[in-house]
Amino acid sequence: MSRPWLKWVPAVAVPAVIVVGVLAAPLQAGAAVDLPEKTPKQVLELAAGSGVDTFSGTLEQSSDLGLPELPSTGDAATSEVSDALELLTGSHTVRVYQNGADKSRVQVRYPMSERNLIQNGSDVWLYDSADNTAAHTTLPDAAAGRTSPEETYTPSDLADTFLADVTPNTIVSLGENTQIAGRGAYELVLTPNTADTLVGSVAIAVDSDTGLPLRVQVFASDAAEPAIEVTFTAVSFEAPDADLFAFTPPAGATVTEETLPERGDATPDKTPKADQTDHGGATVVGTGWDAVIAVPASADGSGLAELTTSPLYTQLTEAVDGGRALRSTLLSVLITDDGRVFAGSVSVERLQAVAAE
Amino acid sequence: MSDSQPAPGGTSRGAPDTGGAIAGIAAAAQSASATAPARPLGAWALLVSELNVLFRRRRTWALLLALAAVPVLIAVAVRLSSREPSPGRGPPFLDQVTQNGLFVAVTGLIVSIPLFLPLTVGVVVGDTIAGEAGLGTLRYLLVAPAGRVWLLVVKYLGAAAFCLAATVTVVTAGVLAGLALFPVGPLTLLSGDTIGLAESFGRALLIAGYVTVSLLGLSAIGLFFSTLTVVPVGAMAATIVLSVVTQVLDSLPQLEWLHPWLFSHYWLDFADLLRQPVDFSSFGANALLQAGYLLLFGALAYGRFLTKDILS
Repeated sequence: MSRPWLKWVPAVAVPAVIVVGVLAAPLQAGAAVDLPEKTPKQVLELAAGSGVDTFSGTLEQSSDLGLPELPSTGDAATSEVSDALELLTGSHTVRVYQNGADKSRVQVRYPMSERNLIQNGSDVWLYDSADNTAAHTTLPDAAAGRTSPEETYTPSDLADTFLADVTPNTIVSLGENTQIAGRGAYELVLTPNTADTLVGSVAIAVDSDTGLPLRVQVFASDAAEPAIEVTFTAVSFEAPDADLFAFTPPAGATVTEETLPERGDATPDKTPKADQTDHGGATVVGTGWDAVIAVPASADGSGLAELTTSPLYTQLTEAVDGGRALRSTLLSVLITDDGRVFAGSVSVERLQAVAAE
Repeated sequence: MSDSQPAPGGTSRGAPDTGGAIAGIAAAAQSASATAPARPLGAWALLVSELNVLFRRRRTWALLLALAAVPVLIAVAVRLSSREPSPGRGPPFLDQVTQNGLFVAVTGLIVSIPLFLPLTVGVVVGDTIAGEAGLGTLRYLLVAPAGRVWLLVVKYLGAAAFCLAATVTVVTAGVLAGLALFPVGPLTLLSGDTIGLAESFGRALLIAGYVTVSLLGLSAIGLFFSTLTVVPVGAMAATIVLSVVTQVLDSLPQLEWLHPWLFSHYWLDFADLLRQPVDFSSFGANALLQAGYLLLFGALAYGRFLTKDILS
């Protein structure tokens, strides 16, 4: 009691303990994970042979594409564009529940609202709590009971095919084993074998036990931090509660019935929202990582006119020789003055070269 | 230091007028005192008397009434307005209020969290030590055979009890106003699922618990400020200003690295309790963060209060 400085010991010790704890936590998570040695092909086989179709988990998605910050509020026309762009930028938390091939629920979380996509057999519901709307569609039977083409191959075949497909322009290697959502995982690293692309590498972490991909990271060529990252922060392989997949729209919600276009292989997550018209005529120039998609000018130019009058357009793009370009860390888009659109994971200069051909 | 002092045997009352939680503490006090004679009954008497003083104060009631007015005003305004609130305008869930009165409580909390709740908590917690010092009653409190550490703990528990009372007041007033003015039925969660009335009340209680926990870090900071000064208004203002500054920092995207460390960062994440299935991850993250603030500022307050010369 005669030494008053002793009374200040906790005030120094507590921050010290907190700092040590904060610094130690990532070290522990990043510690080397002991897993049996495997070759890239064996990991590919493991991933391809993954029969996991029953799990639940939380996904963390973040993108840093180097796009300018978008205004979060605005008039309706702007907000619809930024709604779409919002999925590309920023970060999201998504909860996923999957029970078998035909029961799934995806919840995209926002601070005070949530978007739900629920598939239960052939019933598909899309619910948005922000404006309390629900949309329902019925999948054609063929699509509901369809077998994925992968099932006709053995995992080993699939791994071979994949390796044969990618090897000419991709280097497949294994990175450090990691730990994701508390599970040991192998990391497959795909590195483009060309300098022309903006993509530096793609890393896929594969659960060492089940073969389920637990994390996908896309790195830009000169960045240490991933430009796109999707990772499980929690995952469980127990069957989710059956109640989760039985959805009835809440009282008071605006319910719309949508019919799927007769296209056979339409997937439920492509809900008819944005215009899906006249995207015919697009051509792909080149193959592999530095391929460029070229869209010729549409006859009436209406879609483009709507786009170019949006205030966001001038904010996102910059004037370059022959048009306006959008630069991001992974993707470039060039819209020429005559209305053609070029896009690809390449530099704007290469897009200009393709446009000039 | 409190352990070395003689125990004169205090008067631990059941305190029926201060609610079940406090009665529980008093009961725990009795069992604790039975096993550990070194912990004097007088210490628990100090807690009971602190809670008594706090909740008998007219100022406390005025603060709680002001908080209760927030959801009531919202409910009345929506009821009297001829226009249906449209989705996406005004505070979240406002458009749901006309369909289900229980959302009055949620909207009331959302409106109260940024300013009204920190304001009232700041007023109460800023007054804890500085108020006694300012009135010249602090040294009389220290004459009680409980010691400075226990006095600090008692003051903090009093502030925490006020946090709980404040949150429960907003929720209760909201539920009552909703019951009186709007139809009440099954509750639509953010995920689009509906739950029955009993579960809705359960969720409302969970949310009240979440918001109470959210305010514990701020209370610890306010307690520390209160040990620094003999002018209670100074401690109150510092606490309230800090809570506003923190929320401003939390809204700046340039400071994203700092956000998870701000005590207000998870304040509005109680919405996670309105998802289906309930997501407790933000509850846990919030509780951990608040515990960190409590430890840090508790240690600072300990250092300051135990080395301080009490002159008044």
